[in-house]
Amino acid sequence: MTRRAAPVLACVGLLAVWQIASLALESDSFPTALEAIRTIPDILGDKESLINILASLRRMAIGFGIAVLVSIPLGLSMGRSRAVAAFFNPLLMVIYPVPKAALMPIIMLWLGVGDITKTLVIFLGVSLPVIYHSFEGAKAVEEKMLWSGAAMGLSPLRRLVRIVLPAALPEILTGCRTGLVLALITMITSEMIARQSGAGNILFNALDMGQYDTVYAMIIIVGAMGICLDAVFERIRARLVRWSEPQFDMPLSFS
Amino acid sequence: MKVVPSRSSEWVRPVTSQRPASAIIEIDRVSQVFQTSTRKDHVALSDISLTIEEGAFVSILGPSGCGKSTLLYIVGGFVSPTRGTARMKGQPITGPGPDRGPVFQEFALFPWKTVLGNVMYGPRQQGVRATEAEAHSRMLIQMVGLKGYENFYPKELSGGMKQRVALARTLAYHPEVLLMDEPFGALDAHTRTRLQNDLLNIWERDRKTVLFVTHSVDEAVFLSDKVVMMSKSPGRIGEVIDIDLPRPRRRNELLLDPRYQKYVVEIERMFDESDEVGSAS
Amino acid sequence: MMPRSLSANLIFGLTPIILVIALWQGLVSLGFAPVVLLPPPGVVFGRLFQQLVTWTFQQEIAATLIRLFAGFAIAVVLGVSVGIAAAASPAINAVVRPIVRVLAPLPKVALYPALLLLLGFGHGSKITLVSADALFPILLSTYYGASTVEQKLIWSAMAAGTPRYDILFKVVLPAAMPSILTGCRIGLVISCIVVFLAEMITSTDGLGHALVTAARTFQAVDMFVPLITISLLGLILNALLGAVRSYLLRGFPEA
Repeated sequence: MTRRAAPVLACVGLLAVWQIASLALESDSFPTALEAIRTIPDILGDKESLINILASLRRMAIGFGIAVLVSIPLGLSMGRSRAVAAFFNPLLMVIYPVPKAALMPIIMLWLGVGDITKTLVIFLGVSLPVIYHSFEGAKAVEEKMLWSGAAMGLSPLRRLVRIVLPAALPEILTGCRTGLVLALITMITSEMIARQSGAGNILFNALDMGQYDTVYAMIIIVGAMGICLDAVFERIRARLVRWSEPQFDMPLSFS
Repeated sequence: MKVVPSRSSEWVRPVTSQRPASAIIEIDRVSQVFQTSTRKDHVALSDISLTIEEGAFVSILGPSGCGKSTLLYIVGGFVSPTRGTARMKGQPITGPGPDRGPVFQEFALFPWKTVLGNVMYGPRQQGVRATEAEAHSRMLIQMVGLKGYENFYPKELSGGMKQRVALARTLAYHPEVLLMDEPFGALDAHTRTRLQNDLLNIWERDRKTVLFVTHSVDEAVFLSDKVVMMSKSPGRIGEVIDIDLPRPRRRNELLLDPRYQKYVVEIERMFDESDEVGSAS
Repeated sequence: MMPRSLSANLIFGLTPIILVIALWQGLVSLGFAPVVLLPPPGVVFGRLFQQLVTWTFQQEIAATLIRLFAGFAIAVVLGVSVGIAAAASPAINAVVRPIVRVLAPLPKVALYPALLLLLGFGHGSKITLVSADALFPILLSTYYGASTVEQKLIWSAMAAGTPRYDILFKVVLPAAMPSILTGCRIGLVISCIVVFLAEMITSTDGLGHALVTAARTFQAVDMFVPLITISLLGLILNALLGAVRSYLLRGFPEA
């Protein structure tokens, strides 16, 4: 029972610390936790804000979805075919350290401001970890399993889908989890850079207009989004790979 | 029992029946119960009582899983018994200490230290000055046959070499009792026999008390003065056999010695019997 | 396996970079991209060297580096100490675990507006953001490394006479070094990314700010220069950390 309650207690604890700190500091730019929480329904009730937030989620979903659909097959084939790996590896290795959201202005220059730009950046941000993990997962599939499959008469493509994919699934899903985290971060960041619509936009609009309560309330909303998405994904992931051993790769959080 | 002079006879304490055997370690009705993941209790050790005499080389012989390592860890102070006490020189054992030095099967060398660094660790911990500790360590490293390897890292050594370092490291802080947990179990047969020989040569110098855990009958007979047999599930003491073979023991001589062969055959028979009983229950 | 020599490492690391520059040049030369949107590498690098000797650009680099180092350093100190403390003490573990579970999936960049309000638009807000983002991978890696230290190592040290309180420094910390340094590497990459993004969102100086300024005036070349700079900085810092890692872990077997 305590294990489940602990994160909730942590939330409450953190909010309490916030409350006390803001009361102690008594600054206009640091509203109390309660004041921020009270503003949340206002934001969610406001039609325009809601549209913004939903737009953000939509972009994130599309970017994430397409990235996953493209990256998993790419990663898997890279894992099993040395030729494919050699072709794509150098390109990916260089793109990796570049902050995708930083490419925003450049992409904006090419494609203008708008949904496509933001979705593209999210797509790029998510693709990399998913490709990498699919690649690693596919590489690690035991040769003998594939030989058994070949002996049973499966074609290379079917082997990829029916053996490599399920075997590499735990690793792939770890990559997706990282991708999800990055999708959220990239989304917010790109909206903060190219302000036009979205949650990041609301944050900075409120900042510019001095609506400090809204700023903090929005932070709570975005935080909640992150936590919920992660929790939901974790659930799905645990379900799908119940049979696998616990993974520890990219330190995302305590499992 | 005759005194057999060894090469460095000034080091040898005569092990005769005239000298009163002083018990250095007493294990008094020790039991160890573990909780397994299925919430059931696993009785690793049940009511173990044993006395170890000073200067004796005692082997604890038993099949895998009989709790012999657990018993060793209790004497070492790494694990607290669920019931009963273990005592060292009359004082209850409450934790690890330099009076009982372990040598583990997995070597457990500090990977971030060189061979010299590893061996110097104990003395340095005890406040010995660096120059003294280094000289002492170098001597020990030479004694275990690794002269020239002082600045090597454990990863660069073979299994046998690592175990020699582990032995030197433990000896460096002058423990009164050596606790050896299947130390040669991870090594190939050839290295194992060589290290058995070397261990005896080193042991002959000052005849420390040794508690040696193994599942190999011939290893136990070759090395020890006494073989304590343990059965498993739950771990219990079975027979205790005195090995009355002269020292120093040399493998090529002992293998041809009918007394040695008798010991091995007898103990193997007892081993098999206890195994059958165990699996039948 | 013999460790790769320095020159081999260098070649291995430079190849992808050379490949990308070649690809870049190829795109431009073959006319796939108009010069106004994608200037050729030669022009960009030329501009880069031109800027490097100017005082203003050096100041931008300095500003970015100060924030980067300060933020990273705080994250390392905090992350390693809390990670080890949580591994050593069940009480601390019980408190830290749920807090990390709550805060880790939260996109720290969402806190940026609040940080701006509280700490102003200068160094403070950015350093704090960098620390917040780099903290978690370092903390989690440290915790993982410290809690999986081989039991027999600790026992050997205790038998040799090490007092309980000293075990943390004499055994746990050195034994956890490989994990800690892996976490630091991830933290360093994140620090580079975050400092750049934060400067892009709002700043008065720094490399990210330089990019945004150039974007506003549609200067493509001046946009690429800061981006390349931060990437190069990231590579250099990564290489330095790799060298430190090789030295500190010279006794450890290759993973």
